[in-house]
Amino acid sequence: MLPTSVIIVLREVLEAALLISMLGAVSGMLGLSRHWAGAGIGIGLLGALSYSLGINSIAQWFDGFGQEFVSATMQALIYLLLVSIALLVLRRTRHEDARTGSIPVLMALAVALAVTREGFEILVYLYGFSSTLSQLLTVSMGAVIGAGIGISLGVLLYYVLCHPAIQRVPFISFALLALFGAGLFSQAIKLLIQADWLPSQLPLWNSSNWLPEHSITGQLLYVLIGYEATPGAIQVAFHSIALLVLLGLAAAIGRSRALPVDQGKVS
Amino acid sequence: MKSIRGFLVTALLATMTLTLFLAALHGYRSSMVEVQALLDAELTGRARLLSASINGQTHKEPVASLNGQRAFQVFRNGALLWRSDNAPDTPVTNRAGFQDINFNRHRWRTYTWTDENGGIRAIAAERIDVRNALAENIILESVLPVVAALPLAGLLIWFVVGYGLSPLRQLADQLRRRRADDLSPLPAGQQPVELMQLVNSTNGLLQRLEASFGRERRFASDAAHELRTPIAALKVHLHNITCTLPEGNPELASLVSAVERMGNLVEQILALYRTSPDHYFAQLAELDLHQLVQESIAGLFPAFDRSALQLELTGSTALMSGDRPALETLVKNLLDNACKYTPAGGKVSVAVNDRPHGVTLRIEDSGPGVPEEQYTRIFERFCRLGGDQHNTGTVGCGLGLAIVQHIADLHGASITLGKSSFESGLAVTITFPRHATPHPGAA
Repeated sequence: MLPTSVIIVLREVLEAALLISMLGAVSGMLGLSRHWAGAGIGIGLLGALSYSLGINSIAQWFDGFGQEFVSATMQALIYLLLVSIALLVLRRTRHEDARTGSIPVLMALAVALAVTREGFEILVYLYGFSSTLSQLLTVSMGAVIGAGIGISLGVLLYYVLCHPAIQRVPFISFALLALFGAGLFSQAIKLLIQADWLPSQLPLWNSSNWLPEHSITGQLLYVLIGYEATPGAIQVAFHSIALLVLLGLAAAIGRSRALPVDQGKVS
Repeated sequence: MKSIRGFLVTALLATMTLTLFLAALHGYRSSMVEVQALLDAELTGRARLLSASINGQTHKEPVASLNGQRAFQVFRNGALLWRSDNAPDTPVTNRAGFQDINFNRHRWRTYTWTDENGGIRAIAAERIDVRNALAENIILESVLPVVAALPLAGLLIWFVVGYGLSPLRQLADQLRRRRADDLSPLPAGQQPVELMQLVNSTNGLLQRLEASFGRERRFASDAAHELRTPIAALKVHLHNITCTLPEGNPELASLVSAVERMGNLVEQILALYRTSPDHYFAQLAELDLHQLVQESIAGLFPAFDRSALQLELTGSTALMSGDRPALETLVKNLLDNACKYTPAGGKVSVAVNDRPHGVTLRIEDSGPGVPEEQYTRIFERFCRLGGDQHNTGTVGCGLGLAIVQHIADLHGASITLGKSSFESGLAVTITFPRHATPHPGAA
């Protein structure tokens, strides 16, 4: 029971924590204030609570696939927000006077969406055990451990990405963001396939024996790059396109002259 | 990074949480295996005990199970001898050893013991969910303190990091509290090893800075002092030449004026560095500022008379502690300025008053005055408003008010500039504390 709850909560918390860390590092590169993170988390927590309260009616939408649709939309939106952020950063590297006021807003929105989605998943999972108090303690402890590990990994990744040597190479942070964003987009496509909005196909490959999806490594890779052991052709195609778009932007940002990093503000 | 303490606390707490929680998870898995092995051993013992205790007798009535959490069956040559009330009449399993099976709406862990000699087969069973809950409760008791202790660990890390950074904070405080002119070295003996390099480098910098300032002071002072003798000789020779040449020679008059100006400049430079708070040793004594001003006016009266200025002194006895020679220089410079910059026939008013908040000296003139935006600039060294020569046509060296500022600082006095009560002109008000403490740099 405990390991299961650890893995479930870790997967959700890690997703949001990694996003916040990577955006935080980009924010440091641009010398922006980090207030957007607090705002995004706050709005996201409220969103998760509201989403949980309204899930019964949301689940009825689209012939009972409302939840899948909303989750897929949120993930796709996060991806689009990441693309927009990368485009604005690219514009800033080419025009010094480019206004970057909208970047923190987009970052806050991406974080709010991620926290809403992941927070909702955790709340629903915990709610499932609310009637069995004997298991609730175990599950709650698993949730605390999972959240602790996820947040710690996020914090440590943030400090690694904020190291001056890495901040001087913007491609690293943006490439990580590309892998992460493409993974999210791929998850959105998978949800749409599950809801029969996109045709399901035979898997292109099966790597379950080599790296099972439900192993800890499999779960971590699922969060980091959207790893799937048995992906369909459509999912692979969308994942590749999403990855190429963001990687292309990351390469363009990396090739541009150095970002105007305010080292004093990098923390 | 914005804060070293914030970074250390967050990074340490994250590292500790990660390692502790992963260790707790690993411990949980290992303990779970151990506890399951223990429960399996207990199940095996129970099956054997049942087999030994049945002694070939048939028990018609089933035994009531413990909360339905355990069950058993005993058969001889396939015929039921005994069972718990929650076990069926038929064998729940035909395989020997451990097995996980379903019956009675639950999943069970069973152990089957077969005694080949007597044909006895005993099956002991335990509900898996109960076993897991029991094992989990035992292990959670050891994991819970690890999780619960984390906030306490965070608090302790916060204080420990704060304590560890205290030498850095103290060093920053020492530097912040330091006066601008204090270039003495920082105490290096009690600093931790990590700060020694910083302290040594800072001390080296301070030393070089002090040496540089000292050289600057000595150069100006020595140069001025050395110039005094040739200027004095120049004045004597000029006087002798004046006696031999006919009167009214314009070149000679210019030469006399230039030499006078040079002499004045040298004296002012000397006065400036002598009164510098960095190295002036003030000899404070009780004095009457009104009387001091009166004496200074008497000394300068011929100059005022030459310019046909109306000079007025008001006020009464004003006792204060001060350095007499320095205050004489201050009053002389202010009166000199008033005399120089007030056109012929103008007015100069001097007032010395004993006020509740201290002794005030106010000198007003009816000259052209100073624009308000220049009030702070005129205390800078060699500052001459309107260029090298004031629009009054008076030549100055631009050191008078810098010297006044030095002397005021020595006495802890404040200087206020404003418009005079005449139609035009400047009013300089200096407020001295009644009991001045020597300037720290002067002591």
